[in-house]
Amino acid sequence: MKYTMRLAAGLLFAATLTAQVTSERLLNAAQEPGNWLTYSGTYQSQRYSPLDQITRENASKLKLSWVFQASSLQKFEATPLVVDGVMYLTQAPNDVVALDAKTGRKFWTYNHQLPETINVCCGAVNRGLAILGDQLFMGTVDGYLLALDATTGAVNWKTKVVEYKNGYSLTVAPLIVKGKVIVGTAGGEYGIRGFLDAYDAQTGEQAWRFYTIPGPGEPGHETWEGDSWMTGGGSAWVTGSYDPELNLVYWGIGNPAPDWNGDVRMGDNLYTDSAVALDADTGKLKWHFQFTPHDEWDWDSVQVPVLVDREFQGRMRKVILWGNRNGHFYVLDRATGEYLLGKAFVHQTWNDGLDEKGRPKTRQAAAPSIEGTKVYPGVQGGTNWYSPSYSPQTGLFYLSVWEYASTYHKNDPIYAEGHRFLGSLPRRVEGDPGYGAIRALDPETGEMEWEFRMVEVTNSGLLSTSTGVLFSGSNEGHFLALDARNGQEIWRTNLGGRAYASPITYTVDGEQQISIAAGNALFTFVLGE
Amino acid sequence: MKAFRIAMVLFLAAFPAWAQHEEVVNPRQSPEDVAVGGRIFRSHCAVCHGLGGVGDRAPNLTTGQFRHATSDSALHEVVSRGIPGTEMPGVYFNGAEVWQVVAYVRSLSGAATDEKITGDVAAGQKVYASKSCARCHRVNSEGGRSGPDLSRIGGSRSQAHLRAAVVNPNEKVLPNQWRFSGATKDGTIVSGRLLNEDTYTVQMFDARLGLMSLAKADMASYEVLKESAMPSYEGSIAGKDLDDLTAYLASLR
Repeated sequence: MKYTMRLAAGLLFAATLTAQVTSERLLNAAQEPGNWLTYSGTYQSQRYSPLDQITRENASKLKLSWVFQASSLQKFEATPLVVDGVMYLTQAPNDVVALDAKTGRKFWTYNHQLPETINVCCGAVNRGLAILGDQLFMGTVDGYLLALDATTGAVNWKTKVVEYKNGYSLTVAPLIVKGKVIVGTAGGEYGIRGFLDAYDAQTGEQAWRFYTIPGPGEPGHETWEGDSWMTGGGSAWVTGSYDPELNLVYWGIGNPAPDWNGDVRMGDNLYTDSAVALDADTGKLKWHFQFTPHDEWDWDSVQVPVLVDREFQGRMRKVILWGNRNGHFYVLDRATGEYLLGKAFVHQTWNDGLDEKGRPKTRQAAAPSIEGTKVYPGVQGGTNWYSPSYSPQTGLFYLSVWEYASTYHKNDPIYAEGHRFLGSLPRRVEGDPGYGAIRALDPETGEMEWEFRMVEVTNSGLLSTSTGVLFSGSNEGHFLALDARNGQEIWRTNLGGRAYASPITYTVDGEQQISIAAGNALFTFVLGE
Repeated sequence: MKAFRIAMVLFLAAFPAWAQHEEVVNPRQSPEDVAVGGRIFRSHCAVCHGLGGVGDRAPNLTTGQFRHATSDSALHEVVSRGIPGTEMPGVYFNGAEVWQVVAYVRSLSGAATDEKITGDVAAGQKVYASKSCARCHRVNSEGGRSGPDLSRIGGSRSQAHLRAAVVNPNEKVLPNQWRFSGATKDGTIVSGRLLNEDTYTVQMFDARLGLMSLAKADMASYEVLKESAMPSYEGSIAGKDLDDLTAYLASLR
């Protein structure tokens, strides 16, 4: 009986595979929670699922269904996509795998060969795919954007986006908006000039480019002294969000280069460490908000912009919630970029508060020095690129945090195309490792509602559900289910590997599943009896 | 900026030769390079090798002799990649900056303070035995396990560091020497070297009970002590005895 049903379902896939993911489905992804259609689940990037089979009451009965072991020793940073029972994921650096999401068995693998010498600061990684129609899209570490046939894994087109030999790379999961594939470049440690690009999904032709560092004659160019804008960094390596009503794409921009010596790039260094809102059709800048002007601590603002429509200070507003690497939680109006709230969510020693426009009153004494300056938060920030979650059900914003300091050093940077351009490197404070936590913030005030504290720091993203469960991995190797109302642990299991991605949930044959990458494998759980 | 670029083209021209492990002349040897290398050294190397490279937790670099490198190329390799199996990490800099560090380290040779061994190794070995150091420490497979294995300690620590560790063991306690101390709910007292810890469990070595893995939920109380289990020998090992013991420890390589 079961075999017959699976066969029938399989035939259904075959019948519906062509034009399987339309732009309308992407716009309405929240209406089909059985699938996971974009990097962050929906254009709002809340990583919140309305699925309700797994609850606070029964989450303790979760049991392992299957494991996919990646043929890769690189960090597993990819969020999979799930479309009508088929899971698509990347195996780092740039293999694409299509699986039966029910069994974990493989349909096909696409192998992408990289050159022997590649320029990546932090591992040859990839954060995932995008899908439109019957095509999958992937950026590669050696700088290409690929369109693959979702049925066979064959390459439909391949466009060179960046020159990897000059320090650029693509690690981001693309975002599809109105038939365009949007990607941002990595390479902030290599003295690049960052940008976001849009390509026609059908042809692979470039539709627009937005440079994250304004050129001569453009507004903001004056925030870079001399020629420093040419090597000023401003990467864009984590996927943004999209508001179809405003037709704006939101993206977080990375650190200025060199990272830890700002003397050679005097000025605010726009649009590094900023949120930018771009017209989806043209890539033109609508507004920006800079979290950390003239950053000397490497606090990329490459967080996922979380779009929420909710009451804020007495009236309904379209806002962005942003837990920034600089240790502060922000609420911005996403139509205008207006600063509405900012509050530290970890211990911080680098500013004396934010002014009425959200600009930090930076302490001179927090600047890096030759012998080293101890500053909270440390170089990995109060949080980093790992996805937060917002639950409309609890009204809380959840994020993974590091409570720790670094000693920030400063040296003389040497620029050479394609080589690291850093101006020294921070160190951990020996004997003071700090700790990690999952925290819940009230977006109205920025106040912490609860925390789940861990001995080790955490690189895992989060997922909340309508049944009040919050899921997370950890550096300690645990997969956790917490009560989203109060942070109480409901269930855990040891997966034996660090989680560098976020859990996702979806259904196969009507049954809710949850998947999380840990170590070099992807683990999938279902409810047991 | 243009001058930088030209300099880097020259540097890169030399790079492929180095990559093939052929000897290359350090392309960054000017006084300015030595000065820049010195500043990088102060930030990233002095914490272990001491200011001026006189040695501390890591070896003295002023003798002109390097255990793991005989050429500039090999020094470049050591600074870039670290030394496997030791506490020496690689640094995350571009090649030009590593050459500047190499130039600075070369400039230290013979500069000042090659440490002279003043004690007597054989006499120091007797001090080691008479003070029962082997109860906790191990040398060449003999002795206890609750303290650090000292079989090769002279190759990685300066004499000044070894001497200080005897009289003031709490001055610098590395995380791998932190202690875990507590009582289980059934009344067992545990105390020893902390090996690993997560949110739920702790792994430790208790000299009496051996390797232990404990659930924190089963503990009545516990604490992590960031201090050494070793008592201070200040006063009880002094003068010639301390010189001799230091000489003995420095000879363990």
